[in-house]
Amino acid sequence: MEIFGSLGTPLLFVVKVAIWLFLVLYVLFAAVVIRQVRVMIETLQVGLEKPLKGIALIHLIFSVTVFVLSLFIL
Amino acid sequence: MPDVFDAKKVGDNVPKTELDQVAPHKTSQKHVPKKVIEIPEGVDEHQLEGHNHNPLSAFCYYPDNVKFINEDPEEKIILLLRKHPITNLGWLSITFLMLIAPPFLSVASPFEMLPWGFQIILSLVWYLITTAFVLEQFLSWFFHVNIVTDERIIEVDFVNLLYREITDANLDQIQDVTVEVGGALRTYLHFGNVVIQTAAQVPKIEFEAVPNPDKVARVLRELRIEEEQEKLEGRVR
Repeated sequence: MEIFGSLGTPLLFVVKVAIWLFLVLYVLFAAVVIRQVRVMIETLQVGLEKPLKGIALIHLIFSVTVFVLSLFIL
Repeated sequence: MPDVFDAKKVGDNVPKTELDQVAPHKTSQKHVPKKVIEIPEGVDEHQLEGHNHNPLSAFCYYPDNVKFINEDPEEKIILLLRKHPITNLGWLSITFLMLIAPPFLSVASPFEMLPWGFQIILSLVWYLITTAFVLEQFLSWFFHVNIVTDERIIEVDFVNLLYREITDANLDQIQDVTVEVGGALRTYLHFGNVVIQTAAQVPKIEFEAVPNPDKVARVLRELRIEEEQEKLEGRVR
């Protein structure tokens, strides 16, 4: 804990903000993935549409959950 | 006197193949089928070699329930092709390493010095990155397909999650088909590239690392012959 002890909270605060920023961008990315999966499915249908949509949605939910969790934990 | 092109002669000279045996040519004047490799009556397409119902299949002959954008109502899909599953080995290996990495990273001193809350969130962030990597790689493989219909060849390629490219060429625009199978793995597992030179705006369409490239080339050859026959008989759609 020497590094964080000597530099104190400012360094941790920078790390915290960086993580939040990354997670916000990741949630946007997950939303884009949902949109993109929809476009892909419109382009080609081979009978795996529902599972793919489900996976993309779970991915978005997971990313939002991690973001919300980070707001409480960090 | 120079030989005049005769579609019947061409058709007769074509060596008999597995596909011919399964779906023989019908040349009756009364009932002329639209395509050479159209399935004859009495033969169930589900019994054809290469036909399957696996949506993850890399080679499907006469696939069921496959639709693609801008498909003509009368168009029949003959082949649906993807890269051989073994081509996914690279990113699957990287995924495995990414999944097992956090326990090793946790022993690294800078990570260990962080408060526990940061360690948990950073581990979750790492798994999010892993998930994104897996999703992108899988979707790129799954939706990068090559389709052969009775009218044209189509290549659907999602270069990344934000860029889509669809290339097609009519069968009568195909000028040359080259099969490339090189390397021990490709020879052993029998997959390779089918390079198609076309007279279309896009001069070359490449079916990359597809299983059974020889069969693909054979199907294309038979479809081209039928296209020639259709032209001569004035049955072009």
